[in-house]
Amino acid sequence: MILGIPITGETVAFFLLSLLIISSGVMVMSLTKVMHTALALGGVFLGVAGIFILLGADFVGVVQILIYAGAITILMVFALMLTQKGDDTGYPGPGKRSFFTLLGVAAFCALLLFVIRGTSWPVATTKVDPFPQPSIVMIAQSLFHTYTVPFELVTLILTAALVGAVVIARKEE
Amino acid sequence: MALQPFLALGVILFGIGLYGALTKRNLIIVLISIEMMLNASNINLIAFSHFAVTPNANGQVFALFNIAIAAAEVAVGLAILLAFFRLRNSADVRDVNTMKW
Amino acid sequence: MANEAWLIPAIPLLVYVILLVAGRRISEPVVAGISVSAVLLAFLLAIAVLADVAVNGPTAPTTYAWLDFGAHSLTVGYEVTMLNALMLVVVTLVSALVLLFSRSYMKGDERFSRFYQYLNLFVFSMLGLVISPNLLQFYIFWELVGVCSYLLVGFWYYKPEAAAAAKKAFIVTRIGDVGLFIGIILLYIATGTFDFNGLYTAGGAAFSQVATLAYHGASVPFGMSSSGFITLTALLVFIGAVGKSAQFPLHVWLPDAMEGPTPVSALIHAATMVAAGVYLVARMQPLFAASPVASETVAVIGGITALLAASIGLTQRDIKRVIAYSTVSQLGYMMMALGVGAYTAGIFHLMTHAFFKALLFLTAGSVIHALDTQDLFSMGGLRKKMPITHIAFLAGALALAGVPPFAGFWSKDEILSAAFQSGHYVLYAMGLLAAFFTAFYIFRVYFLVFWGEAKGEKHAHEGGSAMVIPLLVLGALATLSGFLNTPFDPFVTRFLTYGHPLGIGIDPPASLPLILVSVIIALLGIWLAYSVYGRANRGAELAKRMGVLYTLSYNKFYIDEIYHYLIVTPIFTIARAIAFIDRFIIDGIVRMLGELGYTGGVTLKYANTGQVQTYGVLTLFGLVALVAIALGIGGVL
Repeated sequence: MILGIPITGETVAFFLLSLLIISSGVMVMSLTKVMHTALALGGVFLGVAGIFILLGADFVGVVQILIYAGAITILMVFALMLTQKGDDTGYPGPGKRSFFTLLGVAAFCALLLFVIRGTSWPVATTKVDPFPQPSIVMIAQSLFHTYTVPFELVTLILTAALVGAVVIARKEE
Repeated sequence: MALQPFLALGVILFGIGLYGALTKRNLIIVLISIEMMLNASNINLIAFSHFAVTPNANGQVFALFNIAIAAAEVAVGLAILLAFFRLRNSADVRDVNTMKW
Repeated sequence: MANEAWLIPAIPLLVYVILLVAGRRISEPVVAGISVSAVLLAFLLAIAVLADVAVNGPTAPTTYAWLDFGAHSLTVGYEVTMLNALMLVVVTLVSALVLLFSRSYMKGDERFSRFYQYLNLFVFSMLGLVISPNLLQFYIFWELVGVCSYLLVGFWYYKPEAAAAAKKAFIVTRIGDVGLFIGIILLYIATGTFDFNGLYTAGGAAFSQVATLAYHGASVPFGMSSSGFITLTALLVFIGAVGKSAQFPLHVWLPDAMEGPTPVSALIHAATMVAAGVYLVARMQPLFAASPVASETVAVIGGITALLAASIGLTQRDIKRVIAYSTVSQLGYMMMALGVGAYTAGIFHLMTHAFFKALLFLTAGSVIHALDTQDLFSMGGLRKKMPITHIAFLAGALALAGVPPFAGFWSKDEILSAAFQSGHYVLYAMGLLAAFFTAFYIFRVYFLVFWGEAKGEKHAHEGGSAMVIPLLVLGALATLSGFLNTPFDPFVTRFLTYGHPLGIGIDPPASLPLILVSVIIALLGIWLAYSVYGRANRGAELAKRMGVLYTLSYNKFYIDEIYHYLIVTPIFTIARAIAFIDRFIIDGIVRMLGELGYTGGVTLKYANTGQVQTYGVLTLFGLVALVAIALGIGGVL
C-alpha cells in the first residue's frame, strides 16, 4: 500500500505508463531539437496506447499505436524537416507570457483535479466483469449497429479532409 | 484501480498540451500539442467506458471517432502549414497575424 | 346655396396646392390671375351664400365624424350663420382686392409665386376659421392663421427686423392662444361639446341661466360656482382674442408686423388675422353675455387699447406704423362694443374697418411703392402727382376719423353711443378722446404726405391698374358702406339678429346729441392736424410744448422696453442657465459616454494583435474564471 493505493500489477503498470506519458509530454515541450521532440511525442502516444490496453481497450490501443505513434508522428517529423530553417534558435524559449500561461493552465488543471476529487462517481454496486466479450466484438457491434450513420459520416469527413489537404497544399499555378 | 487516477492523468496530459498550444512558436509543435490534448480526451473516454456502471463499448467507439477526426485534422493542418510556409517562408505562429486590427 | 359654403375656403386651398406644386413654373401674371380670379369666385359664392341666408336664415351645421374616443367624439364640418355669412363676404372681398394689388406691388420679387401661395393659404385659413362649426376646428384654423401671418410677416426674412417681427408676432399671439386653448378645454369639460350651437344650448338659454350649465351629467369642474366658471372661461377665451386682435397688453406684435410687405399688412389688419379675435368674441357672445365681469373686462380692455394705441399713433414717423396703431385702436373700439353689448355695432365696425383700413394700407403701399420710403417726414406734395391715391387716402382717412357720411362715422358712432347709453361714461369719454386722436393722427399723415412740398428726388407716379382698381373699389366701399347700417335703416343689425329670439346685441337707438358730439370731435381733430401740419409744419413746435407726453407717445409708452426688462430678459437668463446645463452637463455626460466608448475602442483595438495564442491565453483565463465562479455558486469550491 502506498498512499492508500494497493500495489498490484495494474497500479504499477499505471504509474509507469503515467510517468512515461508525463515525462515524454514535458520533453516535447522542453526539447529544442526536432528529432528529439518527435521521439518524445512517440513516447507520449505509446504511453497512451498502454493506458488503453490497461483499460481493456485492446483494439483502440492498437489503433492508437498504428495511427498516432506510426502515421502521425512520422508525418510530423516530415513536416518539421520540410519547414526546417537551420536549427531552432529562431524560436526563443519561454517569456513573460509563457509564465502567465503556465499559471493559467495550472489553475485550470487544479480546478479540474479538484472537481474530479470532489465528485462522487457512480460505482457499480455488483461486481461485473467489465467486458464479457472481447472488446473488438463489442466495438464491431456498436459501430455497425448503433453508430452506423456516424461511422459513414466519418468516412466522408476523412475523404473531404484528404481532398481538402491536397487542394490546400498544392502549389499555386 | 479507480476512475480518478485515469481522469487525473488525462487532465495532466491535457494541461501539458494546452500549455504547448498556447506558448510554442513553431506551428508544428502547436499542432503536436493539440494532438496531445486530443489524446488526453481519449484517455477519459476509454476510462469512462471501462468504469461505467454497466460497462460498454461506447467510449471506445467514440475514441475511435476521435482518432479518425484527429487524423483528418492533422492532414488538413499540415496542408495549411505547408501553404503558409510557402507564402511566408516561416512556420512561426507570430507570423500568422493577418487578422489583426 | 349655403350648403355649398365649404367651397368658399376650398377654392383658395386648391389654388394654394396648385401654386405649391407648380408655382415655380408659372409666370407672374398667371399666378396672380389664378389667385385673384379664384378668390373673386369665392367672393361671388359668398355673396350667394349671404343672399341665401338673408332669405332663409342660418343653416344647421353640416358635420362629419372625425375621431371617436369612447364616449367622446370629434366632428369637423361647416356651418353658415348670419355672422359668418357676413364675414365670408368681407374676407373674400378684401382678400381679392389685396391679391390684385399685390400683383404690382410684388412685381419682380424673386418669390412672387411663393408670396401668392402664402396669401392663398392665409385666406383659406381665415375662411375655414369663419365657417367652423365647433371650437376645436376653429382653433385649428386659428393656429393656421397664426402660422400664415408668421410666414408672411417674415416674408422678407433676410431683413433681420422682418424675421424678428415674424417671431414676435408668433410668440406674442401664442400667449393668447394658450389661454384660448385652456378655455376651450374647460368649456368641453363643462358642456361635453365643442360645437358653438351645442355650447349655447348646453347652457340652456344661451348661458344666461347659469344653473343649467351642467350638461350631459357633467358638473362645473374644480368645485367652482357656475358664474365663476363662466367668467373664467370667458376671460380665457378673451385672452385668445387679446393676442390675436392685438389688444392691450398683447398689442405689441402688430406694429412690428409692419415689416412684412404692405399687402400683407393690409390683409392682416383688415380682413384676416386681427378680425379673428373680434370674430371669436362675437361668436362667443352668449358666453360673454352670461358673465357681466367678463363683458366689463372686454369693454375696459377695448377702451384702454383704443385710447392707448391712438395716443401712440399721434407721434410715429413711419406711415405704416401710424396706420398699424390706428388698427390696434379701432380693434379696441370693436372690443369695447362687444363688451358693452353692442354686438352688431362691433361687427359692423369690423366690416367698415376692413374696408377703410385695407384702403389706407393699400394707399400707403402705393405711396411707399412710389417713394421707396416709409418715413412721413421725407414725403410730401403727392396730391398732384398721385391724384387717385390722394382721393382714395382721403376717403379712407375721413372714414377712419368718423366724418359723415363716410363708413367709419356710422359704425364708430354706433359704438360710442352704445357705450354712453349702457352707462359706461368713462369708456365713452375714452372713446371720444381716442376719436379725437384718431382724427388728428390720420390727418397728420394725410397733410404730411399729400400736402406741402415734394421732398424726395424720386419721381412719384401712380402704380399700374392692378394697384389703382383695388384703391377705387375700396374707396367706394369706405365711402358708402356705412349706409348699410344707419340708425334710420339698420340693415346689418336686422341681418345679424335674424331670428334671434333673445334680441342679443340690438343696439340702443341713436341720439342726435351724441352724434353731434362725435362729429364735432372728429372735425376738431382734423382742424388741429390742419393747423399744425397743413398750413405749415409746426409739428416740432407742438412736440416741444408737449414735452414728456410727446416722448412717452413717441416711445410707445415704453411698453416694449418694459416687456423686455420684465419678461424677455428674465426668461432669457433662465433659458441661458438651462441651455448651459443642457449643453455642458447633460450633453457633457452623453458626450463623455460616447468619448469613453470611442477611446476605449481605440485603445482596446490594439489588443487585437492577430496572435491566436494570445487570444487563447485570454480565453483560458476567462474559462478558469467562469468555472471557478460556477463552482463557487454551486458550493463546490
